[in-house]
Amino acid sequence: MKLELDDVRVPLAHFDLHVTAQLSSAATGIFGASGAGKTSLLETVAGLRPPHGGRVVLDGNVFDDRRVHVPARHRRIAYVPQDNALFPHLSVIHNIRYGANGSPIDECVRVVEIEHLLARRVTTLSGGEQKRVALARALVTSPRLLLLDEPLAGLDRPLHARILSYLQRIRDEFRVAMLYVTHDPEELAGIADETVVLEQGKIVRMGRTADVVGIRPA
Amino acid sequence: MTAGDWQVVGFTLRVAALSTILIAPLGIAMAWLLARRNWPGKSLVETIVTLPLVLPPVATGLLLLKLVGRRGPLGQLLERAGIDLVFTWRAVVLAMMAMSFPLLVRGCRVAFEEVNLRFEQVARTLGASDWRIFLTITMPLATRGIVGGLVLAFARAIGEFGATIVVAGDIPGQTTTLALAIYDRTQLGNDAAAYRFLGIAAAVAFAALWTSEAFLRRRGNAR
Amino acid sequence: MKRLHILAIALLFPVLAAAATLRVSAAASLTDVLQALAPVYQKQTGDALVFNFGASSILARQIQEGAPVDLFISADEQKMNQLQRAHLIVTTSRRSILSNTLVIVVPNDSRLTITSPADLAVRSVKRIALAEPQTVPAGIYAKQYLRKLGLWSRVVGKVIPTDNVRGALAAVESGNVDAGIVYKTDALISRGVRVAYEVALSDGPAISYPAAVIGDSRQQAAAQRVLDFLQSPEARETFRKYGFLVKPRG
Repeated sequence: MKLELDDVRVPLAHFDLHVTAQLSSAATGIFGASGAGKTSLLETVAGLRPPHGGRVVLDGNVFDDRRVHVPARHRRIAYVPQDNALFPHLSVIHNIRYGANGSPIDECVRVVEIEHLLARRVTTLSGGEQKRVALARALVTSPRLLLLDEPLAGLDRPLHARILSYLQRIRDEFRVAMLYVTHDPEELAGIADETVVLEQGKIVRMGRTADVVGIRPA
Repeated sequence: MTAGDWQVVGFTLRVAALSTILIAPLGIAMAWLLARRNWPGKSLVETIVTLPLVLPPVATGLLLLKLVGRRGPLGQLLERAGIDLVFTWRAVVLAMMAMSFPLLVRGCRVAFEEVNLRFEQVARTLGASDWRIFLTITMPLATRGIVGGLVLAFARAIGEFGATIVVAGDIPGQTTTLALAIYDRTQLGNDAAAYRFLGIAAAVAFAALWTSEAFLRRRGNAR
Repeated sequence: MKRLHILAIALLFPVLAAAATLRVSAAASLTDVLQALAPVYQKQTGDALVFNFGASSILARQIQEGAPVDLFISADEQKMNQLQRAHLIVTTSRRSILSNTLVIVVPNDSRLTITSPADLAVRSVKRIALAEPQTVPAGIYAKQYLRKLGLWSRVVGKVIPTDNVRGALAAVESGNVDAGIVYKTDALISRGVRVAYEVALSDGPAISYPAAVIGDSRQQAAAQRVLDFLQSPEARETFRKYGFLVKPRG
């Protein structure tokens, strides 16, 4: 995958998000403190928050520039928000099927191992189970890019490794590129080759994860 | 309760139901537009929609009369089409629609605003069109509030008096509603009959609320 | 001693000069003429008149429920009888002071031809405004008249009842009804209607406006003075000017 962010400017509450970067790793970390603009960056890439200037290009497809804004529904960029946003009125299987458009969902269900949860209502699931359902739901659209906003937030420590292993499978077996937002550098070690450090909406460091946050990647 | 009394009750229920059905599509759409979209002139539209709620009902009735009366702009069109509006049951429906519309929009707007935007955003990334999102995500999650809005609109329609009497008059057998009948009986000094109608009005309101609660409970409305 | 007299008079003067304010409930059809007479009365006596105009049926009901009224002028005898039976009026003050005639009016721009009451039964006349024919005098008179002509049953389905006779007049003025039956005096003060037919005094119902002082009034003497004034030559001239028929003093 190749994501080009060229002079992208998004006005936020206290500052402007203003980034220029070219990302081409299988998994790229987006690291920064709370309020640095990480979630807004994901929303912009997803097409949910049109920038006020600059270009967003993914794999040669121009999604945002001065003349055009391709809406989110046409980008095939999947987004897993921090709170998962599972549709509470639908069961697990209907949540997953939502973006499937008739295509089979078995592979997506298998990769996160939730075959036994399909008939359940999403509100009865544990935190880890909900995250896996959210991932499966995101994968059915065969996305070009998967955006993960603090995927391990709110999960018990013992679960971290397990979820990370699912993400690694998605990165390697499914070959889905991902942007992984977090404020915890140790998480990035397990998954991202490259990392971008965001501070007050600007990229202050970018490069190999180990160099940028001081931890060896797996 | 005489046969004439029951006619009044039946008539009121029918026109109130018709009024609510007629405002439902526009009311829900307007509520969604106000909750989810911004556009030039939005505040003006918001004000106009809220007007019948803050004006004295007879004032709204007067505005309607100016509009659809024989000499009014719409009235002349209706006249040419051969449609009688003022002082007929159609004017009763019109008065009810005008007075209950703002309540429906308010109730539904709050219902839509309470639906977490995140759900709609995720649905968009999953490829759903605006229309599909509205039908499969927004509406189901807003059902409780929408039903509440419709019940409120229905109850308001049943109790409608001020605008009705101006634009439809109080014609026995033709435009006399439950509320007007209570007024009439009181004027004539027939308090017993007025209280009977009052009891029925209360019973109808209670039944409407109870039915909507039962409906929502059965759906097991999750959040 | 002289100074004491002056002081006494000076102290009493505010009391002597205190003007009464009298509450008068009167039939709606008397609105314009009474509002014209009030300033004349105030100039002559210093007493101010505060009016409550409406359908006589509602006014009578209000008095029965204890509304503070000093003088009541009804548009028919029946409402006054109601109050008399309930011992709410000063019986000796009761007088019938005015009469009126009925007219059929149509909107100024009406294209319908109505030259007789029978024309009201015609198909092209779809809506007729009357004051509520069960309770309001103007409506009762109109119904009486139409009954007498055998027209009521053919016309009743078209009746739009209004709260009082001025409501019927307004309905005709607005053009939203085809015709209305009101008092001649109402037609005279309106610019939006024209008289299509005038009911001759001998054909129409006997219309009478009784007036009486209310028993609970705390200003009975002052109220009686108003009643006397309304029967004075000056007042009667004004009533005639507005189209009312003036009953002989008795």
